[in-house]
Amino acid sequence: MSEQETKKAQMGGKDMFSIVVNLVAIYLAGGLIIAGVYAWASPIIFKNNKEMREKALKAMMPEAETITPIGAWWPHKKHAEYLEAKSGGETVGYVVETLGKGYSSFISTLIALNKDLVVQKIDILHHAETPGLGDEVENPKWKGQFSGKTLGQLKLVKQEGTEYIQAVSGATISSRAVTDDNGGGGVRPAVEMLKEALAGHPPEKPEGAKGGGGH
Amino acid sequence: MTNWQLIKNGIFAENTIFKLAISLCPSIAVTNSVKNGFVLGIAVLFVQTMVNVTVSAMRNIINSKIRIPVFMLVISGWVTVVDMIVAAMAPEAYKQIGLYIQIIVAFASILARAEVFASKNTFVPSMFDGIGMGIGFMVALVIISFFRELLGRGSLWGFAFVDFKPLLIMIMPAGGFFAVGILMAFFNWMELRGGKAPSHH
Repeated sequence: MSEQETKKAQMGGKDMFSIVVNLVAIYLAGGLIIAGVYAWASPIIFKNNKEMREKALKAMMPEAETITPIGAWWPHKKHAEYLEAKSGGETVGYVVETLGKGYSSFISTLIALNKDLVVQKIDILHHAETPGLGDEVENPKWKGQFSGKTLGQLKLVKQEGTEYIQAVSGATISSRAVTDDNGGGGVRPAVEMLKEALAGHPPEKPEGAKGGGGH
Repeated sequence: MTNWQLIKNGIFAENTIFKLAISLCPSIAVTNSVKNGFVLGIAVLFVQTMVNVTVSAMRNIINSKIRIPVFMLVISGWVTVVDMIVAAMAPEAYKQIGLYIQIIVAFASILARAEVFASKNTFVPSMFDGIGMGIGFMVALVIISFFRELLGRGSLWGFAFVDFKPLLIMIMPAGGFFAVGILMAFFNWMELRGGKAPSHH
């Protein structure tokens, strides 16, 4: 070890001082830079998220003039909303957010229903299922099965046919997460909830549920 | 080394994935499509370059006893900045790769270059080392994801050539190990055949 390195290995009062000065200066500088970027970026990010959500809702019900929240429910104790779509002052349908427990993630789905509570279409917003298997639920052909289904038909089956929802072969758990995960999440529980809510029994907030914010 | 040699060094002789074999986690986790690999590569290129120049600029004022915590702070600071910029400027892409940008904090390759190169070299060489290492990392991710997406999904950059999935295992995690292993062997074999001794580290 050279003389200089030996000196470095010992912790002296001068060292302590320079370490403190180093850390304070670097934390301050880093904090200021991040705060500056955050001040610039956060309103834009907030606006982007809002716009993306509005775009997704609009795409579910292109014929509606306004889509406004009429209540909230809590699949898997996470906050989700149900919304009413209106056109010319009349209710034309509903959009419900739901969440189902899949193989490796929660699958979050939007459901569009007409005013008789027949499913018009669904859209998978977010998931982290196995690529090539579970992500087949995003396939338009698979999602298309939901159009025109009533509450009684929202059942997952493994046989061929158009009466019910046919599971993706090799991805039963992901298909179940979208349709009905038997744990209070998915399309079917969402439609059941909406039916009850419209009949005057809005869902109650469960204990320990995440609050009114996003999810 | 000249600046150009520094860049070439990062791409070939000291390629993060194929030669140094560090940061292998992202090389498997995000390479099941070319788009993911490319976008993460760009983010790493930016973070690596910024971290290198920052560390190099501060190298004479940092007490060497706390250099590692300081490097980590510099890295996480730049990653946070990149994360927020991408979220604000490219929200669609951020939906796909947001998660991966945040894990750049834990990439061994970035800390390794800060310690091995930038803390001992002046500003300009450190910048070119960062650019070279970043490009090398990006090239490696794109090569790996090219084969994985082509074989596993039958598509490239999302455009499908066939309607089925030819070799599904290639886009699963296990296929990532196959792809990285075979490509690593291939590049080393090429180098041996070229008569050059493999670089030691």
